[in-house]
Amino acid sequence: MRPGSSAGSRPPARSRTAARTRYLAQALAPLRLIFHDRLATTGVVILGAVIVMALAAPLVATHDPRAIVERAEASWMTFDDGEWRVRTALGLDPLYDLDVRAGEAIAVGASGLALRHQADAWTPLPLATDATLWSVALGADGALAVGDGGAVVWYGDGPPLAATLGDADLLGVTWVDDGAAALIVGAGEAVWHLPLAALHEGVEALEQRATRLPSPVGRGLLLQAVAADVDGSAIAVGERGLALRWTPGEAPGSAGTLQPLTLPTFRGFNGLHVDQDSGRALIVGERGTLLRREGPDARWVEDPPPDTRALRGAWIGPDGQAWAVGRNGVALAFDGTTWRRDATGTERHFRAVVVVEGRTVAVGSDPFVDKLAPPSSVHWFGTDHLGRDLFSQNVYGSRIALLVGFLGAALVVLIGTNVGLFAGYFRGRTDTVLMRIVDVMYGIPFEPFAMILVLLFDPSLLIVILAISLLTWRTVARLIRSQVLSLSERPFVKAARVAGASDLRILYLHIAPNVLPLVFLELAIILGASIIAEATLSFLGLGPPQSISWGGILHNARLSGAWRTAWWWNVPPGAFIMITVLAVFFISRALEVIANPRLRTR
Amino acid sequence: MSRTYVLRRGLQAIGTLLVIVTILFFLFRLGLPDPTGALVTEGLSPEDRAAVRERFGLDRPIMEQYVIYLGNIVRGEFGTSFHYKAPVANVVWEKFANTMVLMLVAIAIAYLLGIPLGAYLAWKRGTRSDTTGIVLGLMFRSAPMFWTGMMAVLLFGVALGWLPTSGMRTLPYEAATFFDKIFTLDFLRHLIMPALIIALFYLGSPLLIMRNTMLEVYGEDFIEMARAKGLRERDVLYRHAARNALLPVITQLAVTIGLAAGGQVVVEVVFSWPGLGREILQAVRTSDFPLAQATFMLMAVLVIVMNFLADLLYGALDPRVKLR
Repeated sequence: MRPGSSAGSRPPARSRTAARTRYLAQALAPLRLIFHDRLATTGVVILGAVIVMALAAPLVATHDPRAIVERAEASWMTFDDGEWRVRTALGLDPLYDLDVRAGEAIAVGASGLALRHQADAWTPLPLATDATLWSVALGADGALAVGDGGAVVWYGDGPPLAATLGDADLLGVTWVDDGAAALIVGAGEAVWHLPLAALHEGVEALEQRATRLPSPVGRGLLLQAVAADVDGSAIAVGERGLALRWTPGEAPGSAGTLQPLTLPTFRGFNGLHVDQDSGRALIVGERGTLLRREGPDARWVEDPPPDTRALRGAWIGPDGQAWAVGRNGVALAFDGTTWRRDATGTERHFRAVVVVEGRTVAVGSDPFVDKLAPPSSVHWFGTDHLGRDLFSQNVYGSRIALLVGFLGAALVVLIGTNVGLFAGYFRGRTDTVLMRIVDVMYGIPFEPFAMILVLLFDPSLLIVILAISLLTWRTVARLIRSQVLSLSERPFVKAARVAGASDLRILYLHIAPNVLPLVFLELAIILGASIIAEATLSFLGLGPPQSISWGGILHNARLSGAWRTAWWWNVPPGAFIMITVLAVFFISRALEVIANPRLRTR
Repeated sequence: MSRTYVLRRGLQAIGTLLVIVTILFFLFRLGLPDPTGALVTEGLSPEDRAAVRERFGLDRPIMEQYVIYLGNIVRGEFGTSFHYKAPVANVVWEKFANTMVLMLVAIAIAYLLGIPLGAYLAWKRGTRSDTTGIVLGLMFRSAPMFWTGMMAVLLFGVALGWLPTSGMRTLPYEAATFFDKIFTLDFLRHLIMPALIIALFYLGSPLLIMRNTMLEVYGEDFIEMARAKGLRERDVLYRHAARNALLPVITQLAVTIGLAAGGQVVVEVVFSWPGLGREILQAVRTSDFPLAQATFMLMAVLVIVMNFLADLLYGALDPRVKLR
């Protein structure tokens, strides 16, 4: 017999320790066999990787798993073949406006971003300012963009020209006087009249020749948008239902005058578009406000909206077809009689919509919660229904799985081995009582019992571990007992007893090391079972609350109802569970061969 | 196998059941606060609440409640479900049948496939197909069933639209009896996916047990003898070795059937199968004590009975096993 040879006599303390070490080393020696099995080696490598992932979760995870991820980008989407398609973002700065003229379009956005769109491709224009540009108007000679802090940028023939017009934020711009002047509106009811000639003369002329028109309302409200009307006048709209009509002056070179305009609602207005051929017009605003005019002299009618979220961009065509876009991916279309909401499959906030060469194009987007986003280079496993990064959740999920797995398995093996040792060694009444308890345990189905336990006591990590370990030790106890039954008849046990060793000494120093391979085998099997059990409980919503686990991710997916479409949400957690448990099973197979040498065939 | 052994084992099984019933009673009564909270509508006056407690006997001492409870169980009365307001037995039997029809089909598939496959793998031990078989069997065992179930729903239900994804029948339907309900093509279409998911999970167990016992049996003399007689390897495999290796698999089968009722809560949840597992989850969530208890008890009885049968079967099938 391998162990136990030195147990009877009482050698000096030092060599006793050495003997004990050697003795344990001998007992553990067969574990090296694991590395002779290719599958088991694979298992060790995979399990090692998962353990490293769990330990180093903060380093491996790309995001905070609980943080709701917000993202801003130069989004654009096109309406092709009856559906909206979000196109590859053009950068990280949101786009705020888009204007079109003769097949060419220009978009402007945050940090002075300006892009020219031609034949489905975008080319950046040179940066002239770092201020946010809110609006752009394309004219015959070039494009005029306006933005924060009175920023004005002129993209003409030469290099771009940047200037400042007052200090108010400028939010809207349009061409008036047959393209001879621009009308600019902004915060504090600011309305500027800027002759085109000034743009050709340079910065100083521009600042001198622009005229600020006095507002007839004088409440300091925000003017959001301005558009030229077909009769040569212009309409400006803003917050709290503010609307102004600009009429050109009689004398040449006059800046014109402003009158209040009454519209049938007092909701805030965000966007405005007038079709220059038919005189049809559309104003959009807060809470799904849609104001439509069928012709130059027709009355403004308020349409019932199919969605009541804020609308930002408006477009109406000569045939009466209209488009409106807004926050959270809202895109509305008007076919001449009714408005409908089109699915965009995105939560991006859109700011402007135009029809360029027969194709509808919308741009955005302010920081938006990236909900249910499919996998991308930023979110490797996509995001969930709250916009949280799923890769990071999966990484952190390994912690609970391994924690519950290892703690549960250790507890199970601890209880099971001891019960088995005692029952097998002492026999008689001890054995009967312990084995009857084991029989009772075998009569209890695991899942329902764990469910009842978790629900009777508040769900917590401890209860989950207890639910797993209270029942599963039954198998270990039976196995160890049968092994101990035969071991305790062996000569080395009798020898130890004759030498005067106590029962506990025989049990733990002589018999226990001989069942160690079996214990390790059970440890591995139960580790796999615990990981699945924890995932199962979490999947049923009975796991520790507020914790992130693989089963919990799947529970959220089912609860949200989005799991039928968001495959990236469902696939990884299950795959992680499978791979981890599989690795453990591979290892356990090698351990089985060690525990039961008869399986060592070839 | 003597008659006294059967009797002794039978008495043990009854004792086990009694212990479980007792644990269950005290776990429920002591583990949960005032059960009237689940029973009566909120805002009921204390007097009415007391009346409800009295009607259900919840005001008596706990030991008296326990004795009444035991008496009721012996008489086969499991009380009235708080939720269904109907006798628990009526509710439970239908769910039990629903679960068993699913589980038995699944287990049958698993064992009918697993046993020959396991024997085949043992025959091919050490080869590439052996390794592949083991890895596949272990993979199905490692993948949690709620996940494979969800994947199957996504693939065959949502993406391909071949199979229905929830329930036992397409609603609405009319069926006078249980057999009316299950002997239809529609039921089969609902059954395929959950049954296969469970079968795949269970497949690993007969497969690996069969393979391992086959390897043990292969080392024995009578196999050498059969070979020496000049029998074809196929005959040695299936007629001599496999028969003798079947024993542990059959025991495992009995145990598996026993565990079937408590079986696969998650699969029933994923496929909205109106079975016992979903019922117990619902019952515990709504603090429906009588229903949860009866459900749990039914599961435990089945486990105990099948464990008992497994023991007897082992003795009957293997003449070498001498049972005292």
